[in-house]
Amino acid sequence: MATAPVKRITDIGPPHYEKFLHPMIKKNYGNWKYHETLAPGVLCHVAESGDRIYTVRAGSPRLLSVATIRLFADLADKYSGGYLRFTSRNNVEFLLEDKGNIEPLKRELAAAGFPVGGTNNAISNIVHTQGWVHCHSSATDASGIVKCVMDALYDRFTHEDLPAKLRIALACCLNMCGAVHCSDIAILGIHRRPPKILHETLRKVCEIPTVIASCPTGAIRSATVNGNPSVEVVEEQCMYCGNCYTVCPAMPLNDPENDGLSIWVGGKVSNARSAPTFSKLAIPFIPNNPPRWPEVVNAVVNIVDVYARNARRFERVGEWIDRIGWPRFFELTGIEFTRYHIDDFKYAGLTFARSAHLRY
Amino acid sequence: MADGNGKPKAQMLDELEKGPWPSFVKEIKKAAETSPVCHDLMGQLEVSYEEKRSHWKHGGIVGVLGYGGGVIGRYSDLPDQFPNVAHFHTLRVNHPSGWFYTSDALRTLCDIWERHGSGLTNMHGSTGDIVFLGTKTDELEPTFKELTEAGFDLGGSGSVMRTPSCCVGQARCEWACYDTMAACDDITRTYQDELHRPAFPYKFKFKFSGCPNDCVAAIARADLSIIGTWRDDIQQDDAAVAEYAASGLNIQKDVCNRCPTHCMEWDGKKLTIENKECVRCMHCINVMPKALRPGKEKGAAILIGAKAPILQGALLSSVLIPFVPAEELLDTLKELVSRIWDFWGEYGKNRERIGELIQRVGMANFLDGIGLDPVPEMVGSPRDNPYIYFQGKDGDQGT
Amino acid sequence: MAVAIEALADEMYKMVAETQGKKNLKALDLTKAMIAKYGEAECSKDDCKHAIRQLIDSGRCVYSYFGGSFITLPHKEGAAPE
Repeated sequence: MATAPVKRITDIGPPHYEKFLHPMIKKNYGNWKYHETLAPGVLCHVAESGDRIYTVRAGSPRLLSVATIRLFADLADKYSGGYLRFTSRNNVEFLLEDKGNIEPLKRELAAAGFPVGGTNNAISNIVHTQGWVHCHSSATDASGIVKCVMDALYDRFTHEDLPAKLRIALACCLNMCGAVHCSDIAILGIHRRPPKILHETLRKVCEIPTVIASCPTGAIRSATVNGNPSVEVVEEQCMYCGNCYTVCPAMPLNDPENDGLSIWVGGKVSNARSAPTFSKLAIPFIPNNPPRWPEVVNAVVNIVDVYARNARRFERVGEWIDRIGWPRFFELTGIEFTRYHIDDFKYAGLTFARSAHLRY
Repeated sequence: MADGNGKPKAQMLDELEKGPWPSFVKEIKKAAETSPVCHDLMGQLEVSYEEKRSHWKHGGIVGVLGYGGGVIGRYSDLPDQFPNVAHFHTLRVNHPSGWFYTSDALRTLCDIWERHGSGLTNMHGSTGDIVFLGTKTDELEPTFKELTEAGFDLGGSGSVMRTPSCCVGQARCEWACYDTMAACDDITRTYQDELHRPAFPYKFKFKFSGCPNDCVAAIARADLSIIGTWRDDIQQDDAAVAEYAASGLNIQKDVCNRCPTHCMEWDGKKLTIENKECVRCMHCINVMPKALRPGKEKGAAILIGAKAPILQGALLSSVLIPFVPAEELLDTLKELVSRIWDFWGEYGKNRERIGELIQRVGMANFLDGIGLDPVPEMVGSPRDNPYIYFQGKDGDQGT
Repeated sequence: MAVAIEALADEMYKMVAETQGKKNLKALDLTKAMIAKYGEAECSKDDCKHAIRQLIDSGRCVYSYFGGSFITLPHKEGAAPE
């Protein structure tokens, strides 16, 4: 029996957060009164005690080298007593006690290429997945498209001039590690062809019952191939989810010519005004076109621009579309409505127009 | 794929250094200055850009001793061309609640990762972990040793409780209705075994949001979504409301008309809220943070079942317990989750999330199974189809 | 008398070895099998948890991942057993 090394530390959990809290945050923990926005990316939180803490938020590419993290650490030492945090959307936030440090910090961040913004009615950073940088099942890259889209929407990050918050997310396959399904605009990598079956590999590495059970639509059945047990895919039942590939590496479905992207709109997670809701299909397919994906960038920018021109104050993308109706959304954006926009999966009827409420 | 100088050829990726937004390609190049594996990463990524496909293989059978999660195995399918990324495993490092750090803590992490891996990270991954991107199998134990000595531990992957995450909460937000960071930290610590040693049918996520703005997307992304709310009246400062009006805010149009239940009236001088009809959506509070605040009787709603589409379609969480007072939250959560995990362990299939199990067996049967009474807050409306499964005389034929 | 943890671990190991290559077992499968065999009075979920921990910590079995986490015999390093 192999023995475990002595004194191996396990199961300690993360460091306790209290060690990392700015003294002013510790002092006023649970006793904040209100906050105001001093500029895009700059917040001031005021405590019951009268203390004020200033937050400067900057965008990051999420994929960070240790060199850049050390740069953030140095900036924190210089301007925020060494205290900083990250947001759920991969922004970095410096927590400042001294208001006078805001402008110098902003200047240094700008010089290093990190834009300050992303608050309130700005477009915050795009949450995204790994893509070709690190994922086996991705139908597209993630970091590259995010970079291109944010290049085009840069001013929307540094200005708060939209009618409401606008949250964009990207996932590079239907697994949605980035859970993009409730975003104002979701960019979703999709496969469009059934998996290719590598029968020789499958025989050696996969459990056939598990592969069959993995298919949500029952499209995989057992088959004998060259005298050996294997599986076959009923191609018209496959919706390219890749679940079989996840349980069995002998079912790859990467296909450069047919993989690409889809665009979804109108989702949200916040409960403000309307209830949280899923994003809905806007564009069923855009081919991969690296390195700059101009078609995807144009599609997203177009939706943002049309929304910005037409939505009323406080209307999120989905709330705006609720008011004007989907026909008008397609008309205003110039996006073609196709057969693919009509749901034909489970509970499809729930998205049909089941009333005579029609706008002409 | 190297040119005469040994530098990777990356014409397509070089395009992504252009433009105003911070460039991940620049980050990879920065890391490459001290880490040769990043040259091969660039090389392989360039090939992916040329061929429009991933060159990572299905992986996932590496880890540190004793843990079944926290490391994602990753292997190149071009190992001869890019030997330095033949293994390129990810470590998920459990982040501190609220993603707060000191500069020293960050430097410690950077030093460890520079010694043992690519020097590339995600701050942070989708679930919330610090992601250390790319190392070899032999480096996993040494990295883990240094991490634990520095007070960090791995996060979750596979069929475990995934690393819980939370919003900034009471650390810097006046709207937090319970201490999200303390709750997240406590649950993470209490269930270390469930986080590191896969014993579930599939993944299980907790997310803690302090108010219904839900800044960590708990309702969309967590099997158990804990969303702060309050039970009494919105705290209202009439003088501050008047100031907002005086400063040009159109209270009728921008506040009252946007209220989803129309529970507010503005007569030009005074705002009146019918709190019984308020659904705690946060809109009016978001618009007038100096004048309106969540009530004093604070706590959380517990919702269950959200997930992304794989397998049976995406789900949003739905209400399980409409309100738990803040001071009872952790005890309630622990009791609840032990019953949920028992039920899921008993009836869940491989790769079946709790939300999908509930869809399959029915919410009513699930409630019976965990010993919770049905309440009207759980539904948007009662059922509209007449196909009711009536129980037998004993009333226990449900499950 | 409760079944000894070591004995449970040995039984679990046997199950994993016998089904290797035919069916992947999860921690839950092993636990359910032991409880079915000995009854919950003799063999609790907690006992099973300890037995699994012993199997893994000793290196006799390892966790693997293929779209879900399984307990298997140690294998040669690689993306997938070839």
